[in-house]
This record gives sequence, C-alpha cells and structure tokens, in this order.
Amino acid sequence: MINPFEDFKDFQTEARALPLDRLAPAHDEAMAALTSGYTKLVEQEVKSLVWFVEHNRVIEAYTVACEVIRGLDYDGQHIEEFCYQLESGTAMPYLISGPAGIYISALCNHVPEDDMVLRLRHMQRQMHFLGYRLPHGKTLRIEGDTGNFTGAALNGGQLIVAGSSGDWAGAGMTEGKITIVKNCGRNTGEWMQGGEIWVGGRIHGLGRSVSGRIYQAGDPVTGRER
Amino acid sequence: MSTEDGEERQVPAEQAAALRRTLERVWPLVRRRHLFPELPSPRLGSSTSRVAMEIREKQITLNLDYAAEISRLIPAETVLTALLDHAVSHYTCCPWDLTTHLRLYARAKDILGDADQARKATDLFMDVVANTHAVKERQSPLPSLYRHAPRDHADEILCCLFENIWGMDLGAKDHRAEVRRLSAIPYLDKRRWPASLTRFIRGIRPLLEDAQAEAAQDQSGMGGHGFRQYRAEEIEQALREFAKEVDSPQKFVEIFEDIQNDLQASGHCDLEGMGYGKGCPVDANWLYYMKLAENYALPVKKIPMRDSGNLHPHSHRPWEIGQPVREVDPWSSFGKYLPGITQIWERREGEIFGVKEKTPDCLIIIDSSGSMVDPRARLSHAVLGAGCAADAYLRNDARVAVYNFSDAPAGGREHLPFTKSRALLYRVLCRYFGGGTALDLPEITGLVRDTEADIFLITDMQITNLDHTIARLSALHNRVTAVHVGKKPGALRFIKAAKRTPNISVFGVEKPADIPRIVLGSVRSYLAGGKAKKKIVEEPAYWSWTKVPPRRK
Repeated sequence: MINPFEDFKDFQTEARALPLDRLAPAHDEAMAALTSGYTKLVEQEVKSLVWFVEHNRVIEAYTVACEVIRGLDYDGQHIEEFCYQLESGTAMPYLISGPAGIYISALCNHVPEDDMVLRLRHMQRQMHFLGYRLPHGKTLRIEGDTGNFTGAALNGGQLIVAGSSGDWAGAGMTEGKITIVKNCGRNTGEWMQGGEIWVGGRIHGLGRSVSGRIYQAGDPVTGRER
Repeated sequence: MSTEDGEERQVPAEQAAALRRTLERVWPLVRRRHLFPELPSPRLGSSTSRVAMEIREKQITLNLDYAAEISRLIPAETVLTALLDHAVSHYTCCPWDLTTHLRLYARAKDILGDADQARKATDLFMDVVANTHAVKERQSPLPSLYRHAPRDHADEILCCLFENIWGMDLGAKDHRAEVRRLSAIPYLDKRRWPASLTRFIRGIRPLLEDAQAEAAQDQSGMGGHGFRQYRAEEIEQALREFAKEVDSPQKFVEIFEDIQNDLQASGHCDLEGMGYGKGCPVDANWLYYMKLAENYALPVKKIPMRDSGNLHPHSHRPWEIGQPVREVDPWSSFGKYLPGITQIWERREGEIFGVKEKTPDCLIIIDSSGSMVDPRARLSHAVLGAGCAADAYLRNDARVAVYNFSDAPAGGREHLPFTKSRALLYRVLCRYFGGGTALDLPEITGLVRDTEADIFLITDMQITNLDHTIARLSALHNRVTAVHVGKKPGALRFIKAAKRTPNISVFGVEKPADIPRIVLGSVRSYLAGGKAKKKIVEEPAYWSWTKVPPRRK
C-alpha cells in the first residue's frame, strides 16, 4: 500500500530566520518606550488642566521630558514615526501640542545621531516647539511646516525647516542658526539673545530681539518691523 | 528577447520547448511547497512588456522572453521556481483576495491622493510581503533571481530593502538611507498591514514622486498587480465587503472608478449581478447601495395566494418496475419499492384547488424629498432599506415596482413598473429629487388596485398630506410595511394611526443595524387577530394531497 504522506517526508516546515524577525520587534519595542515616556509626561502636565505657554512651565516640562527619556534606546526614525503616531492618535493617549513638541525636542536633543532628518511634510497638523534647546553640534532638518516656537531657546544647534514655520520662531534663542526655507509668522526672534535666523520667504512680524541677526531673503532685517 | 542594441528577437524553438518542459517539472514541486493552492497550471507566453509575468483570473502566464534571458545567467529551474513562488505567494499570502487588495489600495489612495501612485505603492508593498513570505516560509530561490534580474531604480531600492530584511547579498547599490525606514515594518503580520502600508508609503513616497515626475515605467520587474487578476465571484464578494467598510458612498465611488477599467477589461459583463459591464457606464452610487444591501437579508412573510399553470401532484397510480422512482410516494408502501403496491404521483397541469403560501409582488414607495439624505453624498438609510426590501422580494421570485417621489403632484416622481431587474430598480431607488414632499394618492392606489402586491413605504414621514396618506393606506387590503427614517413628529402620528389599522406595520430605522429588524409584510393581525388572520383560518395554509380543498373565493 502506498503511503499518501510519502511525498511529504522531506517537507521543510521550519521557517527561515530573517533579520526582519529581529528588526520589526525591536522597532515596536522602541516605539512602546517612547509612548510610555510621553504618557508619563502628559500625566504630569495634565494635572493643571490647561497648558499655558509660560517660561517656567516650558522649562519644567522639558526637565520632566529629559528625565523620562533617560536610558531609552531610539533613533531619528523612531522620532519621526512617533510624530505620525501622535497625530493618528491610535497608540497615544492624546496629543497636547505644547508638551508633545517639547518631548520631541528632548528626544532630538538626546538622540545619538548628530545629523537628523524628520520628514513631517505629510502631517496634517504642525508640531510646536520643534528644535527647542537644540544643542551645539546637532543639526536637525525638518521637511514640512512647523508650528509656533520653532527653534525656541536654540542652544547652538543648526535647525533647518524645509517649509514654513509659525509665530515666535527662534524666541529666546541664545546661539546657533535657524533656516526657514519658506515663510515664518509673527514675533520672529522675540527675546533673541544671539545666533541667526535666515528666512527664505517672508517674515510676517519681527519680535523684540536683544541681540542676534535675522535675514529675510538674504537681507538683514533685525530691528525693522515689516 | 531584447538584445543589448535594443533589437527584438524570438526565443529559439528548442529553448522555448526546454523551458516548457522545465515548467512542467517545476510546477508540481512549487505547488507542493505552497501546500497545493487551487491554481491552474501556469503557462509560458510571449509578452510585449518586459515584466516577468502576468496573472489573469488566476492564470499565471510567465514571460518566455524574460525567462529565457535570465536563464542564461542562472539555471532555468531556479528562474521558473522563483517566478512561480512570487506569483503563488500573491494567492496564498498577500493580497490573498480582492477584498484585501481593495482595502490596501483604498488606504494608499487616502494617503497619496493619486490613483497611479496608490496603485504603484500597493503593488510594491504586496511584492515585498509576498516575496518575504516566500523566502521565509517556503525557502524560495527568489534571492537568486533578484541577484541576477535586470533592475530599474525602484527595483534597486527594493533589492536593497530585501538585503536588509532577508540578510542576503543581492548585489544592490547602496540605498541604505532610503530603505532604513522600510526595514523595520512587520510585513508578515497580516493584522497590521494597513498600518504597515502607511509606514511603507511614508518611506517610499519620494521614490513614487520621482517615478511620476520621470514618467518611469509603472510596473515593477515582476509585473503589476491589476485588479483584473480576480474572478467574478471574488469581485462580487469584495465589492460587497468594501461597501460595508467604507464611510461614505463617495469613497466607494472614488475607488470603484479607479478599478472600473480593470474590472471591465476582465470581461465580467453580468450587469444584473455585478452592476457593471463592457460599454455600459456605471453609476457607482447605485452599485454601492446594491452591494451594501447584499449584506442584509430581510424576511418576507408569505401570504395565501392562488396558484396555477404549474405541474402539481394530483393523484396516485401504482408503480411498476422500470418506471422512474423519483415520483414515488414513500408513504404508500412504507419506504419499500413494491411493484403494484407502491404508489407513484400523477402530475397534472392547470389551476389547482386551494391556496398556497407565496410572496406577492411589492410596490416600493421611497421618499427622496429635500428632508431625506442625498444618497450620493452620505449613506441613505432610506435607499439602503428600500434596496434590502427589493432584494428580499426578488429572492422570493416576486416582482418589484418603485415609486420614487418628492412633490409627486408637482411632477417630482419617477415610477418603475413591476420588474425583476435589480439594476433598473436600484437606478430608480438612487434617484434623488430633493424637493417638497407630497404623495399622489390616487396614482398610488391605482398602481396596486386589483392586485395582492405589498406596499413598502420608506420616508421620514414629513409628508404634507400625511393624514390623507394614512387614510388611503388603511383603506387598502394590501399589506403595508411603513418604515420611518429618524424620529420626526410625523412618524409618531403615523405609528399612532397604524395601531388602528391591521394591514400596516411600522418600523423605525436610524442606523444600518436597524434594517435587519424589518419584517416585510409582517401584518400585526397575523399574530394578534383581525381581518388577515381570519382569512388564514378560513382557508388552510397548506393544501392537502388527499382532500380537495375548497376553491378560494
């Protein structure tokens, strides 16, 4: 009698091990860690019900953000993915623009890479506070538009926005360079104490800067209201 | 086969024959490794394009020129096995069926906005999934093929991605920066495919935009995955499920228009069932409602009706050996075949005596005034409910007529006589007038006069002459199923009035989940007494073979 299973005696049922088996779970793990950190920050910040942009408040949120991300293993790709996850709201508790932007800035400032690109061109909403306190030696290129307080308190890093930014760009920056390829909003360079802001398009309004230089389409405009 | 100087030449007959023999030898092995998918034997054929294969209605046709060209670099067996692995993985893994394919395409279209880019992105994603599945689960020799096959820019990037996720050297140029974002996507996790596709598109978007700008070839080296590879039954099912999943009719229309050419090219011309066909422009709105309605099945209560014209068992006669046993009455000899004793039924044609439960025809009266939802803009529960009702009657072999009205006395109406054509019915049901609301009552009563047809009225009850409507419908002997959409004041008046009339049943619909609760022709008096119940008691519901029932008056 012929064994009907004879054909299968050399059949391989074991799946081949691929690097993908390791890469995808590692990515998921990193994303879960970033989400967990953000949740901790939000839990801290929601205690006061309404989140106002105040100097002390921002500093406090950034300090908490730096604490919660300590020891996390992530890279620029994870930060970009995190931005999209924040927007889609599927895996995140909720998006509070201010703390979210500060959290992303904290992540960018502590990432091992010195040069980083965030492709945010296809995000529906703009994130605030991107490039906050970007330190010396770091270059952050953001593809897409950014919200308010872009490059606020910039600390020697180089921020390039391949798009437009909102109001208060470069507010309180001490040194470094912000390049905005398109336009930027009002109060640009408010309380700016050093560094440069280069705007390729139009500046809708200048802030009261202490020091530093602001350029519009290559021309210096510091001190002049447009 | 194309040569380096670009001129075309035929594959030599001996080489083609050798490849065909190899294919015959390889195919059973590939089938076995893929656990015997139900696919026809693949063919080798010439193609004008440079793609490796084409799939039409599950028939895999490998490009002879392509196979011959690559066979000069690696063994023909490896080439054919790899190509077949790729094709079969599309059936056994991704996209698996048209429903999944449509789901992925709709997601890509949502993100990209452009049909060509969405199609390309979906194709690339499905290629990555299918190939990865074949390499991981089926030990496919696809890496050898990718190492030696000619590549364009998109293929180069795919190869680099495969190097990353398969951990093999495919000789790709360094595109690590581009593929870094694509390398950590869980391609083989089917539940996460929509989210994975979103990430995949985010990673390859620059490539898609470049490809469009340079008007590069729109198919990958393995060939595109148009929608014409599916069979009619799959298309039916996919459209049905997709109609249920989409948020709005516009979304369905948008996606359907993108794939319509492919579906027509595949030659599915059954307009009644499918709602599309060659040379017949389709209003995808009514196709949407048609497919959505197929997800619901409403019960119809039958009523005693006269029956005539068919062959019916009339009397017994003895059964003899050699006569067919199909008509044997098993009760006449307790299940045994005894010649001369066992009785066989004698059938006669003509009017029978008594009554038999049947489904009457139905007149659907649908309100398409301004207070109703425009079925083209949003999901109209009225059109969906009416479509479900029409399907229910058609399934029971009854005919359906439609009276679509807005301000009927002012001419805002369309009347379709009794028909069994689904396409015609849905066309009229989806017509939207958007004016005032008034019924031409003499006309409606004229349509059902001297018939036993049911009436199915679906409206928001914001009818100007509602009281007259109630009075007229109450006076009819026909069964009336009235469905009110939403809870307008008129609906309460109608419900109150309907309590006093035994032939009217009222149902409310506020969401699609309410539709299955409608029971067509469910006259209250059937259950709780009244005229209709009396009718049934007087006349037996099922006529007996042994006794001749009284002729129905």
